[in-house]
Amino acid sequence: MKTRLLLPAFALLCGVPFFVQAAEEQPSANQAIDLTTGEWESVVNIDCSVLVPDYREPWNAGQPSGGSGTGFLIGKNRFLTNAHVVSNATKLVIRTTNDPQPHPARIVFVAHDCDLAIIEAEDGTHFEKLKPLTFGGIPKLNTELIAVGYPIGGDRISVTRGVVSRIDFRPFSHTQVDSHLAIQVDAAINPGNSGGPVLQNGKVVGVAFQGFNGRVAQNVGYIIPVPVIQRFLKDVSDGHYDHYVDIAITDFPIENSAQKKALKVGDDGIGVMVADVEPAGSVGTILKRGDVLLAMDGNPVLNNGLIRFEGELMDMNEVVERKFAGDKLKLAYQRDGKKEEIDVELKRFDPYVKLGSQYNQRPRYLVYAGLVFQPMDRDLMDAHQIHDPAANYLFDNYLTDKLYVERPEPVILTSVLTDEVNTHLAIYAHSVVDEINGMKIKSLKDVKEALSRKDVKESYVVIKLLEKGRPLVLKRDFAETAHPHIMQTYNIKEDAYLGDQ
Amino acid sequence: MKISLLSLITLACLSSLQAQGPLRPQVHEQEPKRRRQLIAEPGMDGAQPINNTSSLLKVNVTYQSYNLQIPWQKETSSGRRGLGVVLPNNRVLVTAQMVADATYIELELPDSGQKITAKVQAVDYEANLAVLAPNSPAKEKAFFSTLKGMEVDTTARIGDALSVWQTGRVGELIVTPMRISKVMTQGYVVENAAFLVYEATGIIRSEANSFTLPIVKGGKLAALLLRYDSKNQVATLLPAPIIHHFLKDVADGKYDGFPSLGVEFQITLDEQFRDYLGLKSDAPGVFINNVMKGGSADKAGVKKGDIMISINGSSIDSRGDYQDPQFGALSVSHIVRGRSFVGDDVEIRVIREGKEVILKSQLTRKNVEDYLVLPYLFDKGPKYVLSGGLLFQELTRPYLNSFGNEQQGGPILRLQRIANTPDEFEKVGRKKIVFLSAILPTSSTQGYERMNGQVVDEVNGKKITEIADVAEAMKEPKEGLHIVKLREFPFILHLDALKVEKDNLQLLNGMFRVSELTRLE
Repeated sequence: MKTRLLLPAFALLCGVPFFVQAAEEQPSANQAIDLTTGEWESVVNIDCSVLVPDYREPWNAGQPSGGSGTGFLIGKNRFLTNAHVVSNATKLVIRTTNDPQPHPARIVFVAHDCDLAIIEAEDGTHFEKLKPLTFGGIPKLNTELIAVGYPIGGDRISVTRGVVSRIDFRPFSHTQVDSHLAIQVDAAINPGNSGGPVLQNGKVVGVAFQGFNGRVAQNVGYIIPVPVIQRFLKDVSDGHYDHYVDIAITDFPIENSAQKKALKVGDDGIGVMVADVEPAGSVGTILKRGDVLLAMDGNPVLNNGLIRFEGELMDMNEVVERKFAGDKLKLAYQRDGKKEEIDVELKRFDPYVKLGSQYNQRPRYLVYAGLVFQPMDRDLMDAHQIHDPAANYLFDNYLTDKLYVERPEPVILTSVLTDEVNTHLAIYAHSVVDEINGMKIKSLKDVKEALSRKDVKESYVVIKLLEKGRPLVLKRDFAETAHPHIMQTYNIKEDAYLGDQ
Repeated sequence: MKISLLSLITLACLSSLQAQGPLRPQVHEQEPKRRRQLIAEPGMDGAQPINNTSSLLKVNVTYQSYNLQIPWQKETSSGRRGLGVVLPNNRVLVTAQMVADATYIELELPDSGQKITAKVQAVDYEANLAVLAPNSPAKEKAFFSTLKGMEVDTTARIGDALSVWQTGRVGELIVTPMRISKVMTQGYVVENAAFLVYEATGIIRSEANSFTLPIVKGGKLAALLLRYDSKNQVATLLPAPIIHHFLKDVADGKYDGFPSLGVEFQITLDEQFRDYLGLKSDAPGVFINNVMKGGSADKAGVKKGDIMISINGSSIDSRGDYQDPQFGALSVSHIVRGRSFVGDDVEIRVIREGKEVILKSQLTRKNVEDYLVLPYLFDKGPKYVLSGGLLFQELTRPYLNSFGNEQQGGPILRLQRIANTPDEFEKVGRKKIVFLSAILPTSSTQGYERMNGQVVDEVNGKKITEIADVAEAMKEPKEGLHIVKLREFPFILHLDALKVEKDNLQLLNGMFRVSELTRLE
């Protein structure tokens, strides 16, 4: 399964997503660019005001901040940019090279899993006469390209030049858990370039999006290639974004002679072992550990999990990557030496999303008598610097030990707003909530329901935590009297935000 | 294995009188008599002849531990130099740390430099104590002729003045003062048990042979130095009551060790929690949240959820302390571990469902071999099976600790978690955690090289509960294949039985220079 395999690799990527600037490659490498022609007016600067959610004080609006990136016109009042350029935006303004006027804009679609977004100007008339950029294909290695955009170093449009260095599956640092095809270039890609076009022969071959910290590597920038962009555009063509689908299995190469014999695999180099299957994934009820995956859509899967796709050897997940929610995938596999074929309907695999950064979301929480409950996800773990052994185990093994099956949305007692009613409980902050009043807690919503539930000793609220020696006990009437007072003291207006649904 | 050496600072030597003069001993008000004794104490120590080392010996140890990650190899050997306290019958008391993994032990007379080889007669790594005996009975008499056995004095209290004894270059006695400021329970050098300690303040000089220093009260042994924090000038002392307990246990020829109760409890200071448990506001007791299977409390019938209110008649307060007649408020664990012996009767009173219940049993000790994950491992090599390149080992604390704090991601973190939550693994019948600690590159392990840290569930259809099961199971491949089932990704490994045989010969004679393919004892 792609998400898991790529996590370790991600640790090496200190890359910050960059607001990148797109370069346009002209037939002649030395052709001068004339800004007065208006040809470049369709590459725009995007100024973004944001509120960074506050997971420590989830009832607060967040920290105001801002940034700037690049976008470019791809159709009538449609600008393509990176998701990370417009994430958590409260206000967007588009500017062009030759026009002094700021144009307020808004998000139309945003896809965090592939770091792409489409925005539009609130009033698109200014851009009506501009020519949208058009897309090319996957550029060849060692061919020149230019990145155009508005990176740091000045206010006007900038162009940098380089060659295609590598084409590979890479982790996308925006969510930290998604990986897709990416193209590595040696054109300078700096903060502000993000979302800008990378051009070859006048056509867009990618969107600049991330690079390495300069202390780690030089001249390594990454662009999102056309297949990923076009998948995004096709996905949103029906008016909403459905996310990537995932086969959600982990493969293990077949290299060992004993393994071949046991799995009854031939010497033709075909077949990879299915080492693990996510029960909640697309093939959760179809494939089993120890099956041998032979082909996807009739395309043979090699012993090392690669597949020949569009003439290149690629990770077999690339076949799934190009598909959409509800699409069928034809799988050929072998179980106990017997060949089987089946069409599977592909769907999104949700549990991994919690392990990555999330955006455009108001933090959810519930406060009860000064006890703050929040759902576990990466943003929360980072913000609270949680080191509780049970919480860390749950987070680190949420997928590997399939803990999401029992506890789809683990809830953590993140802090205790101290008051007479809870003063002995402060040391239990950062614990995982297991049960409240006899009810198993599987999501934040359960907390609300469970708190009002009356268990055996109904004058008490009893909260069981994972791996703590004792339950937390509050006298119900004491807790309920203290609650409004605590809310006021700690300046909290609403005692819960459980989400929009 | 890491032994924390004492870090000592060198400071000018102060006479005990000067150092102790300004300090007022802290005494129990109800014992005015005792006060006078305490004040008299510093003078007594200071008045002792300064060349009296007749109860001290230099102890020189060479040690060599096993490599925990490459278990057929040993690490570089190294040395420790400390002091030993001469006991009656020509025996010598040192800390267990001093002789851990010893390959050679010698005793040296501080003044003449005369030496005699010695062996460990008894050792307890939890209590951190060992008794040494000379190897040669023929030389023993002459060697010990100038030495005098030291008595153990268990009467020290908070506020008492003590002296640290060290020897100088030619055997002269160096005496520096200390004063006990606190008494509590704490782990010594291994993590699984807490014992009584004295905390004392004072300066300890840096001298040769500073490992294991005797702390003396009125010419008698009051403690051994356990560790010294030179920055705060706080010494943690291994106290006479524990030394006395150890020596008494050794004396009967059969060493039983220090008993334990085998419970985990929670304090009950929280009033709402007390109400919920039905405890009155001034009632004693702690909430039992875990009872170790087979432990003393389990045998007595203590259950999870009980409120433990007394042991052997001593009432337990809401912090889990009892009033010790000598030391004041002290963790209840000392009643069992420090004041009782294995086999002694124990009476535990608990409140269960609102009623007081009296539970009785005999005290036991959890032997180190009975832990799912060994808390420590000295003097012997880690158990392993190396087969075809797969290295199976039993999980131990020292193995986990050998990675230090930096490399604790991934598999080590997962194994650490198992070590911290042994119950669920013991429940399903595992005696030890067997895991793949490494995979050596051989023809049988082609494709598996990068794995490590997976827990082994099954080999060739046989459930694995300890390392010996692996050795047995590997004798019975099925249709020419070995099948190893793992608890983690990739869950299953297949090996060719013939190739494994060939690779085993290669491993013994080839570049890895493996001396033995298994160590099961």
